[in-house]
Amino acid sequence: MSDPTFRAGFDATLETAINTALRYDPGSRARLSKLAGKVLGVNLTAPAINLFLVIDDEDDEGGYVEVHSRWSGEVTTELSGSALAFLQLLRNRDATPARLGVTVRGSSALLAELQSILRDLDVDWEEPLAKLIGDAPAHQLGTGIRMAASWLKDALGSAPKAGAEAVSEEWRMTPPQAQFEAFAEDVAGFAQGVDRLEARIEILRRRLDGEEK
Amino acid sequence: MTERKTTHFGYQQVPVEEKAGRVADVFHSVAARYDVMNDLMSGGIHRLWKRFTIELSAARPGQTILDIAGGTGDLTARFSRIVGPTGKVVLADINASMLKVGRDRLLDRGIAGNVETVQADAQYLPFPDNTFDCITIAFGLRNVTDKDLALRSMLRVLKPGGRLLVLEFSKPQSKLLEKVYDQYSFRLLPFMGKLVADDADSYRYLAESIRMHPDQETLKGMMSDAGFVDCEFHNMTGGIVALHKGIKP
Ligand SMILES: C[S@@+](CC[C@H](N)C(=O)[O-])C[C@H]1O[C@@H](n2cnc3c(N)ncnc32)[C@H](O)[C@@H]1O
Repeated sequence: MSDPTFRAGFDATLETAINTALRYDPGSRARLSKLAGKVLGVNLTAPAINLFLVIDDEDDEGGYVEVHSRWSGEVTTELSGSALAFLQLLRNRDATPARLGVTVRGSSALLAELQSILRDLDVDWEEPLAKLIGDAPAHQLGTGIRMAASWLKDALGSAPKAGAEAVSEEWRMTPPQAQFEAFAEDVAGFAQGVDRLEARIEILRRRLDGEEK
Repeated sequence: MTERKTTHFGYQQVPVEEKAGRVADVFHSVAARYDVMNDLMSGGIHRLWKRFTIELSAARPGQTILDIAGGTGDLTARFSRIVGPTGKVVLADINASMLKVGRDRLLDRGIAGNVETVQADAQYLPFPDNTFDCITIAFGLRNVTDKDLALRSMLRVLKPGGRLLVLEFSKPQSKLLEKVYDQYSFRLLPFMGKLVADDADSYRYLAESIRMHPDQETLKGMMSDAGFVDCEFHNMTGGIVALHKGIKP
């Protein structure tokens, strides 16, 4: 399994992207708050990812969306299909799950309403992250999120061109093992150098201390 | 023999009865700036570590959850939304200053209804047996004087089948990372602590206490010894942090 930090970064970024867009769209937030408590499960087949959009609402501020990688409560509607099909669903007014090969389990009313809210929202789904990094307060987006963001951006960015298989390859995120090890050795060598230097300084320091007495 | 029992406070040995007081001083002194420092220290990654903790908690609407050593209530806020109006989250901490900052912050975020704050010591939890569906302790266990005692106390108040999640700094999985991390935490951290919170000593303590904390396998063993089953851990960010999970049989 890859480091859970990356997946958490993806969830956090997606969540922030959606809710940032919602913040500037009180109409959508009001519509969304009517769906509070509902949960949309999404099984992406390529790349293989499960995610859950949990809808909630804040008093007097309207609805917002939480993104989870696991969900133990009830799921209102569950979808499965490829990432590309989902992008279509979010982009095209007349895209339907059936036509795109997306299967739906549970209430399709939630899907229809959510699709229309999210589609009208000004979220740049293909690059949610690049956009967000510019606007969000720096303390909200540390390096970790930034890393996950650019990684995700690459993964998603190549989707239409290279096809879903390529994305799922990239998704594994493994730098070529040999390359990484060579790099690690270089740095370790450097670190040893620093160790020796520190040891020398320490000897010098002791000698000086000795002389003072 | 009249030798006094000592325990470690960072790298120093201090009498057992003194440790709690010293830890309290550290957190009293950092309470107000805690969140800012937390973000600076970890580059915001602590949010991702906490997020994964939530995912692994399997929390769901209606459940009762304890966030012990909960400090300023990051986990509590998110749990509160998940368990909803039919559930309950208890934010507990030994330190009144941290708890106060936590309570204020939850109110600021509009979270009140299903959250209760309790001043409590993880070693002696003031709750009946079999109370909680889930207990989390994030970056708290390393500050506790008697960790075995705390684990047993948590086991007691969990419901059978309930889960404990321990999020804590651990042992980086590569020598290289360990080296970099050492430099960072022993040199940079106290320096930043001095700049931001005007308190280098507290952050030196934090760095040292991280290094004295049991590594992944040791903590897993301690959890089993305390009576948890199905114990496992997930390394995050190369093992700088690990999330341990155990179930009450
Ligand atoms: C580093 S903070 C972590 C706060 C929060 N869980 C988070 O992750 O941001 C550690 C907290 O542990 C608390 N603590 C230390 N010893 C404790 C004990 N024996 N019982 C309960 N809380 C304790 C401190 O007061 C402090 O708030």
